[in-house]
Amino acid sequence: MRAALLAILIALSAAQAQGQTRQPGEPAFRALYKEMVETDTSLATGSCTALAEKLAVRFKAAGYGDGDVTLFSTPEFPKEGGIVVHLKGNSTKLKPMLLLGHLDVVAAKPEDWTRSPFKLIEEDGYFYGRGTFDDKAQAAIWADLLIRLKAAGATPKRTIKLALSCGEETTYAFNGADWLAKNRPDLIMAEFALNEGGGGRYGPDGKPQGLAVQVGEKTVQNFWLEATNPGGHSSVPRPDNAITDLARAVVAVNTHEFPVQFNDTTRGYFTTLSNVLPEPVGPAMKRLLANPEDRDADRIVSLDPTNHSVLRTTCVATLLEAGHAENALAQRARANVNCRMFPGTDPNALKADLEGVIGNAKVSVSLKPPVRPLAKAPPLNPAIIGPMRDIAARHFPGVPVAAMMSTGATDAIFIAPIGIPVYGAPGLFLDTDGNGIHGLNERIRVDSLMKGRDYLTDLVLTLANK
Amino acid sequence: MRLMLVGLTAATMAVPAAAQQAQLRPDQQVFRALYKELVETNTTVSSGSCNLAAEQMAARLKAAGYMDADIKLFPGPAERPLDGGLVATLKGSDPKAKAILLLSHLDVVEAKRADWERDPFTFIEENGWFCGRGVSDDKAHGAIFTDTMIRLKQAGKPPKRTVKLALTCGEEGGPFNGAKWLVEEHPDWIAAEFVLNEGGGGKADANGKPVSLAFQAGEKVYQDFTLETRNPGGHSSRPRPDNAIYELANGLVSLARNDFPIILSDTTRAYFTEMAKISDADTAMAIRALLANPADAHADAIVSRDPGWHSTLRTTCVATMLDAGHARNALPQRAQANVNCRMFPGESVEKVRGQILERLGNNGITVTPRASENPREAAPPPPLSDMVYGPAVALARKHFPGIPLVPTMSTGATDGRYLNAAGMPTYGMPGRFGMPDGNGVHGLNERISVAGVMKERDYLHDLIVAYAGK
Repeated sequence: MRAALLAILIALSAAQAQGQTRQPGEPAFRALYKEMVETDTSLATGSCTALAEKLAVRFKAAGYGDGDVTLFSTPEFPKEGGIVVHLKGNSTKLKPMLLLGHLDVVAAKPEDWTRSPFKLIEEDGYFYGRGTFDDKAQAAIWADLLIRLKAAGATPKRTIKLALSCGEETTYAFNGADWLAKNRPDLIMAEFALNEGGGGRYGPDGKPQGLAVQVGEKTVQNFWLEATNPGGHSSVPRPDNAITDLARAVVAVNTHEFPVQFNDTTRGYFTTLSNVLPEPVGPAMKRLLANPEDRDADRIVSLDPTNHSVLRTTCVATLLEAGHAENALAQRARANVNCRMFPGTDPNALKADLEGVIGNAKVSVSLKPPVRPLAKAPPLNPAIIGPMRDIAARHFPGVPVAAMMSTGATDAIFIAPIGIPVYGAPGLFLDTDGNGIHGLNERIRVDSLMKGRDYLTDLVLTLANK
Repeated sequence: MRLMLVGLTAATMAVPAAAQQAQLRPDQQVFRALYKELVETNTTVSSGSCNLAAEQMAARLKAAGYMDADIKLFPGPAERPLDGGLVATLKGSDPKAKAILLLSHLDVVEAKRADWERDPFTFIEENGWFCGRGVSDDKAHGAIFTDTMIRLKQAGKPPKRTVKLALTCGEEGGPFNGAKWLVEEHPDWIAAEFVLNEGGGGKADANGKPVSLAFQAGEKVYQDFTLETRNPGGHSSRPRPDNAIYELANGLVSLARNDFPIILSDTTRAYFTEMAKISDADTAMAIRALLANPADAHADAIVSRDPGWHSTLRTTCVATMLDAGHARNALPQRAQANVNCRMFPGESVEKVRGQILERLGNNGITVTPRASENPREAAPPPPLSDMVYGPAVALARKHFPGIPLVPTMSTGATDGRYLNAAGMPTYGMPGRFGMPDGNGVHGLNERISVAGVMKERDYLHDLIVAYAGK
């Protein structure tokens, strides 16, 4: 999940205090989830293809024919394959729906983790392991559901398509969703897609605070900052130094704040929030909506890192590399700066902004490919958002659901251009600390996973039958 | 004869071999044979044998009258058996006079035949040059010191001081360092009041004309530190206020901005005093002001415009490598920098670590010294005493009239670090004039002037005799 999407949301309808029954088949689901987490699918050391093949075995065992299961990969990237599964519907009028997920995970260095990252460990109410949240939680829920429906002989009205692909987490890797959209659009064509990027958030008290459906997202753009120098022997340092030039530039980028911006989605989001949140945040949001240049209001609202990121373009240095020997002055120092552009931002204008912020001609700023097209914002379709809210009211009574813009990017950027609106589904709750997604000791509450499975099962079945 | 055969190529055919060879005195011819044998014995870490070179020198010492008991041949350790060396002792006549030690390393830097114009392990004389791997570094000293031991023995009457010779292996980066081993395992074999070593020399211009002589007293100590910041990280779409890269970057900016304090030793004080004499008026005034008051920031700014002087005045620490982050789209969990320090002699690793921390101004950055071959104790800078420096100056005036002798502190490292740390002040001897191109030392086609090395031999012989006392 490139988007950590979470916010405090608004109560839109009265909660229906209605008990929910747990979905059956939990042991089988746990076994599937464990196999997925314990199969290393990181780019450097893992194989998505291996996991796709394991899943294909499970689908076929459940009754899917060879024609329903498509394993795909390219000769250039044999380990970066994926799988598409079709559960045929019986309606001639209703178009298919697509469930989207990614098999790959961010790299995890075992020496930095407290526990083995590729071992599913249940401890103190949490599942630990790389991918336990991003994205193997939702991917396992999708796969488990299709297996159960087939095994039970159920036939929905809509054809349900499942696509689990590789390369979502790595900008320059082979991207399976991109490949499917360009080479096999027939396999995934659908009226709409449910994807990661939505979710929910627990409050500081540990109770569900809000649910979100993602409609639209910021765009990623990476930049290289590079400083060069003639270098020389490290026993005689010179006054100018590539590493120092780069360090100054990185500090300048860190200190800079991009201006506050709103679009329709975020204005609606903050307007509603401003009405329900107490002092000082609610009133500060009102002031900021009235005047985006109100620094004091910005400071209060932006104490929450998510709000901070939803309000503006952000740029953060994520990689550094410099030097060629311990005993030589660096001839080159480079930093990757990862920007999340507010929708509508021109990458070249942002490059000029960064150059101005750095203010040192010795540090060059360059746009790193790919320069992606801006993601199309899907419509706020009541036929989809409505059931999300209604079902949430049953499963998470009193917890509001709101549409919001994601600060990150998902595979939606590849799927949207072929005419499939993509929605980040609500359902899986994050803790306030972000659950170590992309970081150390990634984890998910066992309770969040199981309740999310219950919710998403209901949601898919509802959407597939209307 | 072998020289002629090897030199028998189309280019050299035209020049009669005899014309290439300098006219030498009989004692110089004996020295030349010893030197030739030493250079032609491959002592690289990959394919050479320091043992063989040590045995050859031992044979020559014995032929000159040394007894078995005067010579200790020692092999390398089990995993590097050929990395041995020798210690020879010429007993002095005065039991109260302390010994002096002549130290030289037998091993040489790798030399690939394919890259060299000539065979690196054939001692070739051509147009006034000796060519071959090690002719300068460090077999000129090895040959001169061994030759001097032979001449002292043959002189009949022993000098006052005991004179010791240690020829060791592993100085150029081999896994087993003989000098370190002697200091740790057999300090009695090499115990001396002071030590004569490589690391000094002199400068010549591009035409080979001598400019100045260098008497090395003290060398900076190499030490790497790893600076590291850690952070829980997270998704880069949601930057957090604290960040491993920014913390490290802020620290490095601060480290670069704050020079370490000026330290003057006997050596560098004498060095800058000499430099003031040959500098322009403004620079000379700044040097003198700084010598009078090392806290004079204005004078420091002028003198430190020269990066070499800036480094001679203080410990320097400079970030040379950076490595941070694990993915483009993830906040860094760890950011690391290698900071390379050249510590002023006498400064301890722990003190320099503290100075780095002070400059970083952020306890969130860990500073860890990297494992090194350095001795545990900081070596005090060797004193520029009259006993050692005086004769070097006086004899330089005689042998190299008009060429100034300048005390220097070097920024690189020799085996002197082990002996200095063990309380034996170690000095790099003057006498060899390096040209601006470096004479191929550590590189291709290493060479030394025939006339130059003969003069160096005369100077060092007289200097050792003066130190040893009659």
